[in-house]
Amino acid sequence: MEWYNLDTWIVITGALCASACAIPGCFLVLRQMSMMGDAISHAVLPGLAIAFMITGSRSSLSMFVGAAVVGVLTALFSQWISQFGKVDRGASMGIVFTSLFALGLILIVQASNHVELDASCVLYGALELTPLDLWHWEFLGLSFKAPRAACVLTMILVINITVIGIFYKEFKISSFDPALAKTLGIHSGLIHYLLMTMVAITTVAAFEAVGSIIVIAMLVVPAATAYLLTENLVIMMFVSVFFSIAAAILGHISAILVPSWFGLNSTSSSAMIAVMAGCLFLIAWIFAPKQGLLQNYFIKSKSHNKAR
Amino acid sequence: MKSKFSLVIIASLCLTTLMTFLGCKNPTEKNTQKLEVASQNDPLKITATIGMVGDVLRNIVGDHGNVDILIGQGIDPHLYKASRGDVVSLMEADIIFYNGTLLEGQMGDTLVKVSTSGKPVYAVTDNLQNQENYLLTDEENHYDPHVWMDVQGWMSATEVMVDALSKLDPKNASTYTSNAEKYKSELSKLDTYAKESIATIPETQRFLVTAHDAFGYMGRAYGLDVRGIQGLSTESEAGVRDIEELIDFLVQQKIPSVFIETSIAAKNIKALIEGAKAKNLEVSIGGELFSDAMGAAGSYEGTYIGMIDHNITTITRALGGQAPEKGMNGLLSLSH
Repeated sequence: MEWYNLDTWIVITGALCASACAIPGCFLVLRQMSMMGDAISHAVLPGLAIAFMITGSRSSLSMFVGAAVVGVLTALFSQWISQFGKVDRGASMGIVFTSLFALGLILIVQASNHVELDASCVLYGALELTPLDLWHWEFLGLSFKAPRAACVLTMILVINITVIGIFYKEFKISSFDPALAKTLGIHSGLIHYLLMTMVAITTVAAFEAVGSIIVIAMLVVPAATAYLLTENLVIMMFVSVFFSIAAAILGHISAILVPSWFGLNSTSSSAMIAVMAGCLFLIAWIFAPKQGLLQNYFIKSKSHNKAR
Repeated sequence: MKSKFSLVIIASLCLTTLMTFLGCKNPTEKNTQKLEVASQNDPLKITATIGMVGDVLRNIVGDHGNVDILIGQGIDPHLYKASRGDVVSLMEADIIFYNGTLLEGQMGDTLVKVSTSGKPVYAVTDNLQNQENYLLTDEENHYDPHVWMDVQGWMSATEVMVDALSKLDPKNASTYTSNAEKYKSELSKLDTYAKESIATIPETQRFLVTAHDAFGYMGRAYGLDVRGIQGLSTESEAGVRDIEELIDFLVQQKIPSVFIETSIAAKNIKALIEGAKAKNLEVSIGGELFSDAMGAAGSYEGTYIGMIDHNITTITRALGGQAPEKGMNGLLSLSH
């Protein structure tokens, strides 16, 4: 196996993407609203399309604004529908995000007749191509070069860490005990929409690299894996980032290696990263110290012996 | 709480300004490193997106360069996605050639990005794009990218390639030019063969019906009325109405043969034949044409000349014209 500069960048971009997703992902998992990530990652599509139509450019900034607005709207709408329409939360989410996604698809197909805004690019991403699109800048006389996707994802990661860092207490209390949050005067609603905005912006940044489907795996799987292993929130976030990085490294290496065992060419790295994240979850689930499969088995057989 | 929110707003504002600042700063200085590589005696590393471009390049550079082709035999360039190996090839290349006019779908965008980093990247249809009234467009004003179907159009593309190579590697420029002259004389022989062969088809039968609109330039250059089921790109699915209109056209004009393409599934053409049968017109498959990809590497059909020779010979013979069974050079295999 030959390792190029390109591979290093793919792994870095993948790891940044997965880590940036894992941090808001932890709160989604804790608040038992993992599928909100799915909903938002799909629902931002019309936001992207409209931002593109208005500004006519694919510059990151307008896309982020469009996505953030629609992301918050998704959360708002599904809240309203479940409150006033007397349907459960899952169903209202299903109504909102499929309708918005479909609307986005219509807009994109319509727009792509005139300009190149490719639906398949939004859906699947192109992690392999990201190292070709470089940003150059100079700082203190040194010149740097890095893939644009990696730069954007670094910023998103920093934003996510900063926001969580500043509002750590509010996030924690409103996630675990909404009633207590209320008595303490914490505005749970604001925190909720802040989280939704974070998810929306993160998803958009991740689109280009991994597409809107694999990004769901990155939001949910490392966080869920970490949740199996620890009950401490700070440790959980660190562990989820660790699993994100591990999945990126293992994923890209196996995307190159595994097909070559069968005489095929390398396969999609982003998909393989998601597969590896799933494998890591499986391993964690089997061996987890408290809720693991093996542990449960031993506890059961022990208590069985005691009973005898 | 309030102060924290304003902190976040200030922080995000700072980051946005940073982002826009970074986004605006495009590199203007060209990378001169690549030129030094060329001046050494190593063969040039040349990457071409499609086989038709790569084959011409091989004829021009001879031993002075290695040509790597990304979109190989039987692959549809409209739907093609770059793999890691392709990106490696693009990054290692000294010079990159692509067809342009949006043939390569997503790749075109990426290639433009590669070129901003200073690597020489050329669209071989550059000259034709500047030439007025050469490029065909569909009703939505998309360019028809299948320029190689007209041999004279491809001769112009050859010139783009020679100029670009000579600029990159001036030491061997004379070799490139003389190789290209030799190759172009073969191309003009092919052009004449195509004109003469198609002219032998009875005038009422000069209809070319294929799976997608890839033969517009061939039709214009050699006098064929061309119809395709799918549009210029295979990305859009064929509608039932498209097929029905085409069936009516077949029946009206009593067209004896339609053609399948190597890089596209034959299901639409089969539907066409079934439909014509229901209206009492026996239509046969006139043969398999190379539209967006050449034949197997190493075979005669795996070269540009062989591909066009195959297409012209197959079309001419299926529509009742006169052409030698083994084509212009007597090298075609008899599978057509």
